[in-house]
Amino acid sequence: MWEKKKRKVWPTVVASTMLMGLLAACGSNTDTAKSDAKGNSDQAGAGASSGKVVTVHMIESLTSPKRTDILKAMISQFEKENPNIKVDLISPPFDQADNKIRTMLAAKQELDVLEVRDLNIAEYVNNGYIDPLDTYTGTWKDFSTVTAVAKSIATNNNKLYFIPNGLYQRQLFYRKDWFEEKGLKPPVSYQELYETGKKLTDSAKNRYGFSFRGGMGSAGITDQMVLAYNGDQVNLEDAQFLKSGNTIYSSPEAKEAIELYMKIYKEASPSDAVNWGFQEQVQAFTSGVTGMLLQDPDVIQTIQEKMKPEQWATAPMPTGPNGKALIQAGGAGWGIASQSKNKEAAFKLIAFLSNPEQNTEFGKKYGLVPIHTTAANDEYFKTGPYKTLLDMSNKPDVFMNYKPPFQYPGTGQWNQASMESGQAYLLGKFTVVDVLKKWDAYWMDQKSKKK
Amino acid sequence: MKSRQPFILFGLLPALLLVLIFTYYPFLKGGIMAFQEYKLFDLRNVHFVGLQNFRDAFKDPKFLTALQNSAYWVFFSLVFQFLIGLTLALLMNKKFRGRGIYQGLVFYSWALSGFLIGMIWKWMFNSQIGVINDLLLKTGIIETRIGFLSDPKWAMISVIIANVWYGIAFFAIMLLAALQSVPSELYEAAEMDGASEARKLISVTLPYILPTIITTTLLRVIWIFNDPTIIYGMTNGGPAGSTHILSSLMLDKIIYAGDYGAASAIGVVMIVLLLLYTLFYLSVTKSEKMGDF
Repeated sequence: MWEKKKRKVWPTVVASTMLMGLLAACGSNTDTAKSDAKGNSDQAGAGASSGKVVTVHMIESLTSPKRTDILKAMISQFEKENPNIKVDLISPPFDQADNKIRTMLAAKQELDVLEVRDLNIAEYVNNGYIDPLDTYTGTWKDFSTVTAVAKSIATNNNKLYFIPNGLYQRQLFYRKDWFEEKGLKPPVSYQELYETGKKLTDSAKNRYGFSFRGGMGSAGITDQMVLAYNGDQVNLEDAQFLKSGNTIYSSPEAKEAIELYMKIYKEASPSDAVNWGFQEQVQAFTSGVTGMLLQDPDVIQTIQEKMKPEQWATAPMPTGPNGKALIQAGGAGWGIASQSKNKEAAFKLIAFLSNPEQNTEFGKKYGLVPIHTTAANDEYFKTGPYKTLLDMSNKPDVFMNYKPPFQYPGTGQWNQASMESGQAYLLGKFTVVDVLKKWDAYWMDQKSKKK
Repeated sequence: MKSRQPFILFGLLPALLLVLIFTYYPFLKGGIMAFQEYKLFDLRNVHFVGLQNFRDAFKDPKFLTALQNSAYWVFFSLVFQFLIGLTLALLMNKKFRGRGIYQGLVFYSWALSGFLIGMIWKWMFNSQIGVINDLLLKTGIIETRIGFLSDPKWAMISVIIANVWYGIAFFAIMLLAALQSVPSELYEAAEMDGASEARKLISVTLPYILPTIITTTLLRVIWIFNDPTIIYGMTNGGPAGSTHILSSLMLDKIIYAGDYGAASAIGVVMIVLLLLYTLFYLSVTKSEKMGDF
């Protein structure tokens, strides 16, 4: 019986899929044709003043429903101020967004403004997908207040390729109530983080000191520790390497850092955390399993939703033995596709989204550090969890900013490679020497491959 | 009759084109990419590198682990899915009250996405906040929490358990359909000859549904072998690459390294393995079938 049904159902399914495919193809064809006409007629009609409407196609990468709503509100305000520019925002789901953008770029589809991320800027530049923005920023009045950090993450080969829409910067979140209960102070160094974490750990109560992250993104912790331990020796412009030219993993300080990393795992973290990624790490903190968490400001909203204000507080990133911490700002922002036919209008939109007022609002609503120096005057960023971030940027001699190695082809795979050897180390399959040798070899190899 | 032939060919043309474009072109392209350096990071520098991608793969301990894991993954998933699925199908083939509801419940897991199932089992297996550890602790079966997904000894077993759960429904559906087609005269005849229940199962039921069993297991092996979604959702191959199978490793090469050449090489190895398997399986089952009928 089932067999019979199956025979009937399949042709229908196949036929309808084909039909849908054809319809979709037709739909997008006419769409492109229309916007092509618009783009061309605009160019022919000597600019926007003729009253012709230009459509700017824009795609975001770090999509979330909430963020898309914020963006849409900003865009409709822009459209109100610029009646001759229409913005078509494409918001693919986060997991597929970068692939969608790549496909659109490779297929030379209609695209003007795209969200470039610090981790794929080199890829887009290498493939000639995006244009440098330096010619536009020269005449942009708000460019002077953009912070140096914001510019640095958007720069590749000394050219600026996007305007960040905000910065991520890591800090320490801790359980204020647990700390008070035990009379503990937030740790200043990684050594203190280990000691404090040990005091908080009570596996019988399923309570642990540190929200360890051994799974995807573990390099965030291992690299931070190795960098902090190397301190002044690190080449801040090429931060996988020391000033001597060797990798950061080759020094005796790196060995100390990674040995402490093991102690933090063994004595202050749940053993399950060898496989934890972002979700588990944050979930463990908000659900009361762990007492300390190193994370970016985008978790602030989750924490605010799930925890009471008296339960948590923030502190600056821990430092190494010589009192230094190296911090990296991450971020994404708006760039212009090389294939764009409406580059002027595209930059107009970028300039609007990135002006101090819009950008500060975006930062507040979405949990990012704004890119303009003027934001520091805003009351909102002077209190609460954002204060720590500003405090950190006010002490550049302790919290030294470094540039992540996004110019190397192997950066994308580093997370994975570092995680796997890191897990082998945590599980006792590798010694500390083995793991550091592996990491050292990885980056020496990258250096030799770099053009 | 002959005059209709051009029309039939013309009518088939769209389907042929679609198959060529969406099946054979990607297949061919993937085969070519396996011999190229093809990295997303540097698409302007795509060139042929001969067998380099294959040499790299076979030198990589991760690939060898994944190869071994694929064998465990397919064998244990299939055996348990089949045995439990067959049992459920036999139970559901009897008439009892609420059979429809039970059938619905059993088939439910098959309607979920593999990735989602992976995510759900990941949280259930979590050693701190997972329900499985909680239940085992409360019933006194264990005293300390087990890191199901963090301990390489347990991780592969855990992902296989999730996969077994997922696939039971498939066998239950297919085998139940086959069981319902067994003519009741055969059972009546067996009863007249005084056959016991076990005897009826071995001599009537199983031979009758054997063709279905052969087809479903053949298909299922290929699906299980190819399907990385549960592993991707649960462990993403970790810890330390200990739960990668070939297909999840291939995904890994694309998603995290953007290395389409290396991924395609793994894909080609998978195709060769599946071809060998299919030839072997068909030749074995064919001779058996001939003996039976």
